[in-house]
Parts: sequence; structure tokens; C-alpha cells
Amino acid sequence: MTQNTINSKSQDDREEKFSIRNLIFPFSVALVVLFSLAPILWQFLTSVKTNDAIVALPNVYFPSPNQLTLSHYTELFERRPFFSYMLNSAFVSLTSTILCLTLGSPAAYALARLRIKGENVILAIVLVITLFPYILLFLGLLELVKATGLGNNFLALIIPYTAINLPLTILVMRSFFQQLPRDLEDSARVDGYNTVQMLQKIVLPMTLPALATTGILTFIFAWNEFIFALTFITLEDLKTIPVAAAQIGGSSVFEIPYGTIAAATVLGTFPLVVLVLFFQKKIVQGLTAGAVKG
Amino acid sequence: MKSFWSKSGLYGLLALLSAASILLFKNAARTQETVTIKVLMQALEAAQWEPLVEEFEAQNPDIDLEIVEGPNATNLVEDLYTSSFLLGDSPYDLVYMDIVWTPKFAAAGWLADLSDRVSDESLGQFLPGDVNGGRYNGNLYRIPFRSDAGMLYYRQDLLAQAGYQPPQTTQELMAISQDLQDRDVVEWGYVWQGKQYEGLAAMFVEVLHGFGGFWIDPDTKEVGLDGEGAIAGVEFLRETIDSGVSPGGVTTYQEEETRRFFQNGTTLFLRNWPYVWRFANEDGSQIAGKVAIKPMVAAPGESSGATQGGWGLGMVKTTEHPDEAWRVIEFITSEAAQKQFVLATGYVPSRRSLFTDPQIVAEYSHYPQLLQVQETAVLRPPIAQYAQASDILQRYLSAALTDRITPEEAMEAAADETRRLLGTN
Amino acid sequence: MTQDTIRNREQKTGWLLVTPALIVLLLVYAYPILRAFWLSFFAQNLGTQLQPEFAGLANYGRMMGDSRFWQSLWNTTIFTFVALAFELTLGMGVALVLNRAFRGRGFVRTIAILPWALPTAIMALAWTWIFNDQYGILNDILLRLGLIQEGINWLGNPTLAMIAVITADVWKTTSFVSILLLAGLQSISGDLYEAHAIEGATPWQSFRQITLPLLMPQILIAALFRFAQSFGVFDLVQVMTGGGPAGSTEMVSLYIYATVRRYLDFGYGAALVVVTFIILVAVVAIAFYLLGKVRKSAGVEL
Repeated sequence: MTQNTINSKSQDDREEKFSIRNLIFPFSVALVVLFSLAPILWQFLTSVKTNDAIVALPNVYFPSPNQLTLSHYTELFERRPFFSYMLNSAFVSLTSTILCLTLGSPAAYALARLRIKGENVILAIVLVITLFPYILLFLGLLELVKATGLGNNFLALIIPYTAINLPLTILVMRSFFQQLPRDLEDSARVDGYNTVQMLQKIVLPMTLPALATTGILTFIFAWNEFIFALTFITLEDLKTIPVAAAQIGGSSVFEIPYGTIAAATVLGTFPLVVLVLFFQKKIVQGLTAGAVKG
Repeated sequence: MKSFWSKSGLYGLLALLSAASILLFKNAARTQETVTIKVLMQALEAAQWEPLVEEFEAQNPDIDLEIVEGPNATNLVEDLYTSSFLLGDSPYDLVYMDIVWTPKFAAAGWLADLSDRVSDESLGQFLPGDVNGGRYNGNLYRIPFRSDAGMLYYRQDLLAQAGYQPPQTTQELMAISQDLQDRDVVEWGYVWQGKQYEGLAAMFVEVLHGFGGFWIDPDTKEVGLDGEGAIAGVEFLRETIDSGVSPGGVTTYQEEETRRFFQNGTTLFLRNWPYVWRFANEDGSQIAGKVAIKPMVAAPGESSGATQGGWGLGMVKTTEHPDEAWRVIEFITSEAAQKQFVLATGYVPSRRSLFTDPQIVAEYSHYPQLLQVQETAVLRPPIAQYAQASDILQRYLSAALTDRITPEEAMEAAADETRRLLGTN
Repeated sequence: MTQDTIRNREQKTGWLLVTPALIVLLLVYAYPILRAFWLSFFAQNLGTQLQPEFAGLANYGRMMGDSRFWQSLWNTTIFTFVALAFELTLGMGVALVLNRAFRGRGFVRTIAILPWALPTAIMALAWTWIFNDQYGILNDILLRLGLIQEGINWLGNPTLAMIAVITADVWKTTSFVSILLLAGLQSISGDLYEAHAIEGATPWQSFRQITLPLLMPQILIAALFRFAQSFGVFDLVQVMTGGGPAGSTEMVSLYIYATVRRYLDFGYGAALVVVTFIILVAVVAIAFYLLGKVRKSAGVEL
């Protein structure tokens, strides 16, 4: 595969006639697609099968019409507050995204444009903490949450989610600000704007695309976070999707509700699938800017 | 891009509004006249509690008993209770707890001492193992509701045919098993739970007691895992596998796997909990009517022990309504409520009198024998760090049973680590 | 206005803009880590009624003899390195495929990112279902192909469970690696390959002599990120196996979590956090050093 793909151009020139090699490439593409989609598809198929079809042996791959059901989905909404799980996730993710952009962009601007003492130290710290696994923070945060009485309060999630996304926001936004032409700001200064005004009136409108990029990434990370949500929220009505879904898994002693779990998987991932479908390019941009250029 | 922003702004606003309304709603619901007492339990059991809750509320119109459904896995319920205590004010007034949680929750200071609310006389009506399991540092933190204990199930029919009495000692158990296996009467002699999980520790407590050993002395914090009895106990378990009395797979079995072995008629003896009785005797079971129970076997000269399990109610220390919460405890653990619950579900009561209650015996004829088993109950060490101690034992026991290290090595290492945990080395 | 006052104002504004973000970062990152260092010298557990009592280095001493800690460290190491090797290899493959122009490439790229974007905890449920011993599709496929005679209990066997969680992790994060590598590939000029091909080099030689060296910075960065993330892996393993069977997939993060949440052993948990932190920082420092060297020798400004 590797040999074939690097310098496709020169190869195409040399080998014009049909050969096995020409098949390898489409085959690799198909493999990539299959590899990425198969687990999601299987989960989707399971979620619309009747319980009998789910436990049929050998496995039923594509259910026939009489094996189709939506009962697993309705069960999620009837027996569990699944709608509030979704709402909780959406609320926490959106709020922390907005907060993160509000705090992160000014910092990124300062680090990109203004000369501050200790700038390099700040940058190095920001870079290194992107590597910290959340488990290292959970013990200390638990104490903080207890001390501030924030248990079972969305702030106990919103603040950490804002923080864990700040480094990426700062790195991506900083690299964006560095690419902005300086002339704009200079002329703004000449017109008598101070820094804050200039940011509001001139820089902000131009940064919307970059804000969208980082915002999407932040939203994804916040939506997916598990360990804090698992620890700081114990009330059923306040749970977020990943935790709620994971706990359906251990919810029955005698019979594991495979179909319901599958339905929860599909619903819990659906908003993200939509995000990726619409913003694929931005996600790629954001990730590469955050990791490579930082 | 513009539409994206205005849209997400709209959704954000919607989300904010709905969250605000949820919060408002909750506060509104809180201001009612009756007192609400909350308790969390497994969803499955919550359903079984419904008749009790209805009756309680009928008798106590000023109290609203709210059962919060949790996950069915008990460790997840324990986690939920733990987290809600760790995070500060617990949303619950009562704790419905497994006997092994008691010391941990009590040591953490989360439970109210109930000693003053109940007389020794009324405690005396409960099984002693259940009551003792609710004590920690001399205080009482849990009133037992339903009990549980490990025991030996045996095939009455096969033993009678072969002219054997039920075994009293481990040696008899081995000899009878091997004889009937040689004669092809059964495929396996004895099945027990050998997978690395809490059930292994529970099973091993019986073996330990039966060989005169001990795990941890709760008062002196002395560790007995490297004692002679403990090592002999591990050797006995290994011997059951090596001699072919037990299938090699026991080291991966939990309760249900062993029950299936026993229930399909290929096995003579089974170590398990009371719930097996109903399954073994249900319609269509191959061994219906052919099963009997007795206390666990022990080494010659030692007494047998049954690992005490079971569930009871504790009171959250910070509850605003201790008196109302206590009325719930009194009602639920009362003789009448237990009787109703036992008749409906087949669980084991924690009050001694109910084992010989005519109505209950008519339904479950084996309860008088079950009482004998319950009388031999042994507690798992009632120490605050039980969960850690149990995990240590499980690891090394499992290693010894699967022949990765010798019984002595395993028990010495387990004892060492346990001492380090307790700070007594 | 003098140059100095402008400077001063710039300083002030700068700090004004940076401070709010820094405060949040300090609160959520610095406090927990420093607190863990402090707490690791105390016994604070059920034996002390959850009150901190100074214990010196006792927690660290206990860790030395704690076979469970060493096993979890070993499990984490195996998990991290095996997963990393597969993710880099596969990620490179996917990046090479996606780098080539073909119809529908945008769509394939979108699909290739999906696994990365989906919630790990939820996809762990999906993988648990795939590896199910009775109704799992993996067993079904193997049975149909005649490769096995009866269903394998993937998550019930120590070695197989490790393979299962690694597989799920590789699926989940290969796309991240390929995104980073793809960005690197796109910055390599096609002329280099043409010139090389004219000299008679085979595609494999071009890959070895051009692609790999020029891509090394991205490879190292991807490896660094993935190392840190796998070393702290939690969601995936917690949901799929909970660390079992018999602790064979218990990672350091799961042990820390159990120590704090199940055992309420805060002092010891803090010591575990500190040691994990130090290991991580050491590896990251080495990686940065290597990265610096590679950047210098590759002569590329990134």
C-alpha cells in the first residue's frame, strides 16, 4: 500500500496497463472506510433489531422487516430521562465552549501580538499541560468540588471542561492571530482605538472562522468527557450522555439490554456524527494547528 | 458561518432556559408538607419493594418514602452512595447497604449511630451474624432487613443410593466425591466459586473458618492469612482441582456458572447462597426435589462457618429527618414487613422467628435447615479497609488456585500486603 | 507618549488578557497536582477517619511492595506501546491513502475522522458488544470463516482482554494520528519524489529516504500525544473490562481511581498520582529533547 500511494503520479505514468497494483489502492480506500465505520454500523443495526434477532445464532446481520423495531429507542425515553441526558450534555458542552473561547482568545491574542514578560514560560506550560491525563487532576478536583459544594452542579463540569480545552484554544487561536496581517491593527491604532476596542471591532469579526474551528473541537471534547462527569454528578437527572450510556451497561443482573445500549450509543454519538459531517475540514485544521504548530 | 453562530446561540439560549426551568422546578417540588425520605437501591429490588412502600405510606401519611432506582450492579450502587457522600450533602436519608459496606461507611463518618434507638432485646430477635455485621467500633449503624449465608448443597438422592451420610468434614467430601465419580454416578464432585472477585473472598472465609484459620482480627488488626489453617485451606481448594473432584474451570466461575453445573445434574456438591434453592427446585429442573442443604464442611475437629451476607438499612448522619427515617427502618425491618417480603420474593429474613413461621415454612420447606446454616454465620472482617483487604486476598488466592505460585508464597505475600495496608507490619 | 509607556501599557494589557485564562488553568491543573504532592506525605484514609495524618514517605514505601501497582504499571506500559506501534503504522497507512487524489476523498476523510470524534466511553460499549462471547460479531465472523470452532470469551481471558482493549483503542485513535501525519505529508513537495524517481529509486526507497525523515517531526508529535493519552487511558478500559479479568487490564489510572473512590485512600492515591505524573513528565522531557534534535537535523521550521 505504502509504495503505491506516495508517488502516485510517477507510477501512473509508468504503468498504464491494468495490474494488481492498480487494485490495491481502491482496496485500501475501502479498507479505511470499513475500518472506520464497521463498529458504528454494527451498533446501529443492533439498535433497530428485535431482542430475538439480537440473540439469534448465527448472527443476523441485516434484519428482515419483521425483525425491525424502534422499541429500544422508545425505551430510552420512557424508562430513562434520556432527553435530559442529551440536554445536560448539550448545555455543559456549549457553556464550556463559550467560556473557553471567551477566556482563551484574549490570552491567545496577547501571546501572539503583545510582548509580555514570561511569555515563553506561559507557552511552554500551556503546551505541556495538554499532555496531562485527566486522572491526575481528578483527586484534587474532587476536593475542590467538595470544598465549594459544587457536587451535582453543572459548574463542577463546566469549569474543568473549560480548563482542559483552554490549552488547545490558546494554541490554535495564537497561530491564527500570528497569520493575521498586522497592518489592520496598526491602522486601527492610528484611528485611536485602544486594544480592547480594536479587538472587538476589527479582530473579532475576522476571527470567527478560527473561533468556529476551536469551538467545534472544544465542544467535542466536552461532550465526550467521562471521568469528571462520572465522579462529580450522582443525580440521575443531571447525568451527561457518556456516563448515562455506560451505566445502562451494568444495569441488569439477569439480562443485559443489548438493544437499549446500542440505541443509547447511536443517540449519544449522533450529534457528533453530524458535527463531523459538516465540519470535517475545520476539525482537521484545528487539530493540526493545535498539535503541530504549537 | 453567520447562520452557524446564530443557530448555536439560539440553542445555547434554549439550553440555558431549560436548565433554569429544571432547577426552578426542583425547588418548587421540594416545598411540600410531607417529609420525604429518600433511599437508593438497585432497580430490580426497588420494584420488589413497591408493596412495602405503599403499605408504609398508607400507615404514615406524613412521610413520603421515595425509592431512587440505581443500577443493578451492586458495586455501582456503592459507588453512587460513596460519591454522593464524598461530594458533600447526601441527597439520601437512608442507605440500603450490603453488609460489607457497613464498616467503610461508618468509618468515613457518614452513618448515624443507631444504638440508642433500639434495645438489646429487640436486637436479639434478629440473627446475631446480621446484627454484628451492622456494628463498627462498638456502635450500631445498620438494622438488618434480609439475610444471606453460604452453604453446602448436596444431592440427597445420590448420597442415599450410595449409602452415604452427608459429609461433615472436607475429607469426607473428597472421599464421597471420588467414590461416586469413580462409579460414574456423577461427572464432578464439588463446584465452588474460584474466579477473582468478591465471591472468592466470601467463599474462602468459610474455608478459613473450617480450617481453624482467620483473616483479620478486627480488634487487634492481626493478620492470619499466613497461618497454618489458612495455608491448609488453600491447599484443600487446590486439592479439589488437582484430584479432579472439581473441574479446572472453577477458577473462572462465579455463582451462576456453578449453579448451572449443579443444576444439570452432573455434580454432587455445590457451595452457594440461598437463592439457588428456588432455581434447583423449579419446574423443569433436573434435580427438583433431590437437593438438600447443610452447613459447610470443615477440617476434622473444626467447626463449620457460613459467610454472612445480606442487606440492611442505615441512616445518613446528616439527614434532616432522623425520626422519620427511623420510622421507615422500624417498619421495613419489622416482622410483618419481612414476612410479606419473604413470602413474595423468596429472600431470606433476618429475624429468627420467621424461619419457623408456619406460613413461610409451608412455602419454603427448607427454611428450618437454613436457620441452622445461618446460626454458623461468620463475618468477613468488619474493618474500614475491607474492600482493599479483600482485593489483596483475591489476587493472591487466585494466583495460588491457578498454580502460578504455591499456597505458602501466596498467603505470605497476601499477609504482608495486608499488614502494610493496615499499618501493622 | 514615550516608547517606555507604550511598552508598559502593552505589558499591562497583555497580562490583563492572559490572566483570566491562567487563573482557570492554575485552578484546574496546578492545584490538583501540587495538592497531590502535598497529600502524598499524609495518611488520609478510612484508617484515619479520612483525616490527614503526617506519614512521611510511608505511602511511597507501601508502593514499593504493592504488587498491584507494579502490575498496573506493567499493563499500562504494554497497552501504551503496543497501541502506539499499531496506531503509528496504521495511521501512516491511512494518511498515505488520504493524501492521494481520488474521487470522493473529502467524504472518505470525513469518515476516517469519525472514530476520533465519537465519545470513547460510548464506543467502548460498542466494542464490548463486538467482543461479546455469545452474540458478538467478531466470534460470528471467525466461526463463519472456520477459524474457530466455538465462541471465544474475549473479555474473560487475561491476554485476549488486553488484545481487545488495544484493538478498540487503535480503532479510536488511529484517525488522530493520520490527521497529524496527513498535514505533514501535504507539506512535502511532490518535486522531491519526482527527482528521486528519475534517479531510479523504488517507491519503497522514496518512502524510506524522503517521506519518513521529513515526516519525523509529525511522527514524534503524534507519538508524544498518543503516549500521554494512552498512559492515562481510563474511559475505554473502565467501560470495557473495568480492569479485569483478574486485574489483567488494570491500568494505573484505574488503580488510582479505585484507590480514591472505592477505597477512600486519599493519601495513597495522591502518591500514585505523583509517581504517574513524574513518569509522564520524564518521558515527555525525553521526547521534547528528541524532537528538538530531529527538528534541527531535518532542518525544517515547524
